[in-house]
Amino acid sequence: MLSQLDSLKTEALAALETLSDEAALEAFRIDYLGKKGKLTALSAGMRDVPVDLKKEVGAKLNEVRDAITGGLATRQEAMQAAKDASAVAGIDITLPGRPGQGIGSLHPLTQIRDLAVRTLRRMGFTLAEGPEIETEWHCFDALNTPADHPARNESDTFYMPDGKLLRTHTSSVQIRTMESAKALPVRVIAPGAAYRRDEIDATHLSVFNQIEALYVDADVSLADLKGTLEFFFREVFGPNTAVRFRPHFFPFTEPSFEIDVKIEAKGKEARWMEIAGCGMVDPAVFAEISRKRGDSLFDPDKVTGFAFGMGLDRLAMTLHGISDIRHLIENDVRFLQQF
Amino acid sequence: MQVSLNWLQTHLDLSAYTTAQLSDLLTFAGIEVEGIEEKGVSSDKVVVAQIQSFEQHPNADKLSVCQVDDGSGSLRQIVCGAKNFKAGDKVPLALPGAVLPGGFEIKEGKLRGVDSNGMMCSGKELGIGEDTGGLWILEADLPAGKPIKEIVASDTLFDLEITPNRSDLLSHLGLARELAALTGLPLKGERDHVKTSSKTHAARADEITIEATDGCPYYTARIIKGVKVGPSPAWLKARLESIGLRPINNIVDITNYVMMEMGQSLHAFDLDKLSGGIVVRRAAEGEKLLALDGLEYSLLGEDLVIADSQRALAIAGVMGGEATGVVEGTTSILLESAYFTPSGVRRTSRRLGLHSDSSYRFERGIDPLQVQGGSDLAVKLILTIAGGEAGETLRIAGEAPSLVGEVELDEIRTHRLLGMPDLPADEAHGILEKLGLIKKAATREKSRWAIPSYRLDLQRSVDLVEEIARVVGLDRVPSKFTASFSQGDATDRHYDHAMQLRQTLANRGYHEAQTLRLVSTPQIDDALGNPLGFGGAAALKNPLSEDHTTLRPSIVPGLLASAALNIRQGASRLRLFEVGRVFLKLPNGQVREEERLAILLSGPVSPSSWHGRDTKAADVYDLRGVVESLPGVSALEIKSLKDGGAFLLHSELKSGNRVLGWIAQLHPARARQIDARHPVYVVELLLSALRQGSAGPAKFTDLPRFPAMTRDVAFELPADVSNAKVSAFFSGIKEPLLMKSELFDIFTDPTGARLPKDRKSSAWTLTYRASDKTLETAEVDAAHARILAALQKALPVTIR
Repeated sequence: MLSQLDSLKTEALAALETLSDEAALEAFRIDYLGKKGKLTALSAGMRDVPVDLKKEVGAKLNEVRDAITGGLATRQEAMQAAKDASAVAGIDITLPGRPGQGIGSLHPLTQIRDLAVRTLRRMGFTLAEGPEIETEWHCFDALNTPADHPARNESDTFYMPDGKLLRTHTSSVQIRTMESAKALPVRVIAPGAAYRRDEIDATHLSVFNQIEALYVDADVSLADLKGTLEFFFREVFGPNTAVRFRPHFFPFTEPSFEIDVKIEAKGKEARWMEIAGCGMVDPAVFAEISRKRGDSLFDPDKVTGFAFGMGLDRLAMTLHGISDIRHLIENDVRFLQQF
Repeated sequence: MQVSLNWLQTHLDLSAYTTAQLSDLLTFAGIEVEGIEEKGVSSDKVVVAQIQSFEQHPNADKLSVCQVDDGSGSLRQIVCGAKNFKAGDKVPLALPGAVLPGGFEIKEGKLRGVDSNGMMCSGKELGIGEDTGGLWILEADLPAGKPIKEIVASDTLFDLEITPNRSDLLSHLGLARELAALTGLPLKGERDHVKTSSKTHAARADEITIEATDGCPYYTARIIKGVKVGPSPAWLKARLESIGLRPINNIVDITNYVMMEMGQSLHAFDLDKLSGGIVVRRAAEGEKLLALDGLEYSLLGEDLVIADSQRALAIAGVMGGEATGVVEGTTSILLESAYFTPSGVRRTSRRLGLHSDSSYRFERGIDPLQVQGGSDLAVKLILTIAGGEAGETLRIAGEAPSLVGEVELDEIRTHRLLGMPDLPADEAHGILEKLGLIKKAATREKSRWAIPSYRLDLQRSVDLVEEIARVVGLDRVPSKFTASFSQGDATDRHYDHAMQLRQTLANRGYHEAQTLRLVSTPQIDDALGNPLGFGGAAALKNPLSEDHTTLRPSIVPGLLASAALNIRQGASRLRLFEVGRVFLKLPNGQVREEERLAILLSGPVSPSSWHGRDTKAADVYDLRGVVESLPGVSALEIKSLKDGGAFLLHSELKSGNRVLGWIAQLHPARARQIDARHPVYVVELLLSALRQGSAGPAKFTDLPRFPAMTRDVAFELPADVSNAKVSAFFSGIKEPLLMKSELFDIFTDPTGARLPKDRKSSAWTLTYRASDKTLETAEVDAAHARILAALQKALPVTIR
């Protein structure tokens, strides 16, 4: 019996080595361990083993069963491992991915506008808007622009047949906002389109994009304007951005400044780029608003405010190094997908 | 405005400042420096040299080898290509290390094998004068070795942008005055020539009559007889040429010089061509005048002219007339110096499209007190340069208007506006004083200031604050930042919604476009989505070109133009969208502005890649699928509209009662015009309608607790019964167990073999569920049978 068990073990372990698929393993299991299997048959012979040998034969039987079961399990694991490994056979991970619906993009102007809007909203500004077809009063008169100012000319500004005009700047939204404001402070930004009667070329569009800001309260100062804009430009252009204010002239602010930002371009000398105009709201603007409203919310003796505005097209060109403004309206996909 | 540094230096000594420092000084005073041009040489290394001898270059016919004396004691060998010299001539020599205008550095070297240790120069090479076809031959008595810069001063030209409020800076004296205030440097004596020294008399009516005092309150004239008209002296020519003016004759040059020197525009008439005295009057309607530019102008009754008893002589403040101009042979002149009202000059100059240095100054406003001084300076120069004898007195009509007064400065408000509570009053006052203002009275809180006559821009307290801010500079203003909570309103939500739409489309592979809001008249035919009551597109009154005549009534025309451009560049797969405003003319003539989203789709469903090339072309269902993915779109319904024009499949998109927009396929004929290789689909949606669909937070529906059972059904029906009708049947039927109906297949057979051509098969999955128990099979079968029976009654279907 003991020798039978030994030779069964040798035979079974040798047989295991030759098996190459799961079906053969299952057949092996049935052949040795099944109800009618060879080991099962031998263990049935325990009945006839003399009592004094039972302990020894029993131990042998267990040893052989463990060896066959263990050998089978090892073979099964090895075979599963080989199969799992082959699941990724032939995959070249370096091949390009599937494009799906393709990759879309937001227009660079949208991106820069949203950057500006997000930044200014964090600073406590909310959005305002107004019509693009404006009255001359909102676009010029209320903004302290002289009646014979060249900007009002038909050669410079688009007019509608009814005498309205296409706003030449988003500053008209300042007026719209103050006209309808219910209380102070007024703290708004207005991104939007503006129009000038310019031939389209590499640096000019007849329709362009601006963002305007207005802050009016009892005690707004030039220091607020400076702090706000410095913070804004450092958020947009980076924390070490140099900003400078040059005195300038606008009819609707006094004092007025133009703002330059120092732009560092790779391989080029850093240079000052004119980015925005700003200033303290001219008291004449408050006076005209007060006259129109018929109340004293914007009494020029009691309130002060600052305003600034900048061209988003210019900002996008500066930020991305775009040399020809026409790219922004041609929508060549080879251009758009770069952003 | 072109400004010469040398000219400025006649008024104050700026030698302590570099060009860059001056540029900064001007910039931070609010005077934009648009360009800087260095003329002549400032280097010590360009010197006078004498050519001792020269011989033919051994290897080049056109070159000479010269031995020159550069003053160093030993001769220097130079190879030269010029021919216009002889031994003994003195010429400018650039020594090695000299940098010539244009950044060209001179080095020692060999020319055709012969050593050359410098370069002999022409005037042009030194940035002085025109090309004379050879070396610049200098005066014979100049010592060799003397730097050229000591003989001909170099100059720096600033191209300045003067803001419209600072008319006082439109002259060299004006700028010098400003620079003196900013630097503290003293002005030289020339400042005095704004003061008059002439005797004057009130003009008799036969000398000067001002009929239009509103256009010209103040007019002066001086008679000078016996002048000799001829070329100006070199210094005067050089002054004018340095700032880009062409010398004409001594009299005209002097008037131009005075204008650029002190901002007073003058005009000289040929006295012998005048009949009677000067009349300043409005032009007769249609009156003609041949101006000095050689063009004839037709005037209106609003235009101001200078006339004699017979005819108009000049357009006041804008340009003189050809007939009475000073020319060779003129011996007597009448010299006009006057003040013309800015608005009148501006109106006339603009209407005629005639802009001159004179009109530029008058329309911005001149200092009325310089009128006499300007005349005096011109007379002095004319007598010196052109000779003759001046009338004893200046004829004056009217009087100089008073344009400035006294202005109050409030210290506390100044500090508050600047955000500089610590700015000392002394400093602020010092700034105003440097700028020529005179303190009339002062308390601790307030001071009163007399404004100099040339500072027309200083009228209000805030104008003085601006001056202080400008001179103090923003560097010293502290940076303060206060934020406050602000309540957003609908505009904020609209912005966020539009960004969400953009982001959704970009994520689905679409490129955002931005097209011009102005379109051409033919482009209006491409407009999609003209709602009821649309009265047409809003045309501009004064378009600039045929391409941009009209405000767009739809975004689609712009997207089609962009599609066409991309197709020309070889693209066949187009995914474009744009969010923006359109303009709709209403029947009452008003124009409504409306925010819309348009999407354009054409070409393969996927970009080609190694996974698949030329996948099938997208169709209208792809575009509809994109629309259905947008925030705010649910339960999309489609209503066919009449096709026509540029579109097929033209349909209205609705959700409940809301019109969301319009969808269509571009008509193949129109698509061929832009060479589209695949069908082109477009949709245009109203942002306001989309927003309504996404208003408020989403409401949660409890998840089902019991399992569902499904039954599939397929049926045949006539091909022209729309899916909307079938869909409406399932969603309308009152069967409490039916939770969901889903189309999973449509089958048609164009050959008619498996299904008649006019029939289609439609297959649906119906989902049954009860909210309170697990359904028995029998219950579901019964419900399904009820639905099929109802379906057969409601629609012409045959269950398969």
